[in-house]
Amino acid sequence: MKELKLMKGNEAIAEAAIRAGCDAYFGYPITPQSEILEYLAANAQKRTGMVVLQAESEIASINMVYGAAGCGKRVMTSSSSPGISLMQEGISYIACAELPCLLVNVMRGGPGLGTIQPSQGDYFQTVKGGGHGDYRLITLAPSTIQEAVDFTKLAFDLAFKWRNPVMLLLDGAIGQMMEKVELFSQQERLKEAPDWATVGKPKNRERNIITSLHMQPEDMEKTNQHLQAKYRKIEEEETRFECYKCDDADYIFTGFGLVARIAKKAADIARTKGYKIGVFRPITLFPFPYSEINNLSKKVKAILDVEMNTGQMLEDVKLAVNGNIPVEFHGRTGGMIPTPEEIVAVFEEKIIKRK
Amino acid sequence: MAKVKGDIIIDIEKCKGCKLCASACPQVTLELSKKVNSKGYLYIVKVNDKCTGCTNCALVCPEGIITVYRKTLDGNKEHVATITNVSKDINITVKE
Repeated sequence: MKELKLMKGNEAIAEAAIRAGCDAYFGYPITPQSEILEYLAANAQKRTGMVVLQAESEIASINMVYGAAGCGKRVMTSSSSPGISLMQEGISYIACAELPCLLVNVMRGGPGLGTIQPSQGDYFQTVKGGGHGDYRLITLAPSTIQEAVDFTKLAFDLAFKWRNPVMLLLDGAIGQMMEKVELFSQQERLKEAPDWATVGKPKNRERNIITSLHMQPEDMEKTNQHLQAKYRKIEEEETRFECYKCDDADYIFTGFGLVARIAKKAADIARTKGYKIGVFRPITLFPFPYSEINNLSKKVKAILDVEMNTGQMLEDVKLAVNGNIPVEFHGRTGGMIPTPEEIVAVFEEKIIKRK
Repeated sequence: MAKVKGDIIIDIEKCKGCKLCASACPQVTLELSKKVNSKGYLYIVKVNDKCTGCTNCALVCPEGIITVYRKTLDGNKEHVATITNVSKDINITVKE
């Protein structure tokens, strides 16, 4: 049964979390993601009995997530850039302890306390690891509210499949704007704890221990090797991306999240001017679709990477292209959003005129 | 035809400063404030008395936080347009 609704991005994510059978939410309000906490506080408890708690800080909330995830529950938190920075220690612990959880980052402009307007400045922090140690977050970057809803459900599935934290990375604009969404039906909350969960010791198995402390260097290295093997497997199986008119394209725009939508419009405008342009959008930022971009770089003449930061995904695009073709960049920061016409103008100036 | 005079009330705490209403206003009555609301957004304010009560702003507002009042000077009759609670169900009442 189709259930269509006009919803604000943040509220849609909250609704999707309830429907995905989320057991607990721990968070702390920060613009532009406060509506997630507001919506959950108003609706979740009475509908599914989900725990919704406003912690005293972001650091407290991520550690509450750590504890609840250790019990084998579907658990999530959300914040915006400065709040996610505060959570980094806990995220590193959760990744090392191999626990599933959903983190939502509605990015705002930085660095510092920054601005509350949309930005994509947390790419490095999320994808390269903002916390300490060799860990990775599976990162999903929705570009529409429909995707934000679908990825919330997918994120819980991936988190439990790989026992790894999953980050939903979107910007303030997707969090704040309203769009038509088709909602999935209500899923049941988990009834049984997974076999690794710390829910008391029955007689028929060994004690489950969840820890991120390994005092023996041999132990620590073994944990690292195990994690890396898992990440390589994730890279093989979970890479997701979207191609828009890439088949006959001479040039490619790359971008993730909101910017990819603007780039699609820009590509359509450029096509009326006679330039054959496609748009490549990585949906998972980790694992990054390196080989797909590399394959594209053998077919097209140049790539223009567009982002709402000063060139963070650009480095991964360049790694993927591996010097095959020129890669140019256009970025806006501080809450400014590039327009389609602006992208076309930059494309003409940086790629067409310089040839 | 009698001159129509309108007025609007904005729930500034829910405004996110998207400026859709400002671009929809034919009288150029709406502008962003210099101050921020409790969420930190610059909100929309009415900057002059040219409002005719056309309800354009209320219709485009994605948050549904603008209430429009309309009044004719001779008959002293009041008309109301409110669009409320967009997140749950869209509820449009425009009284003519």
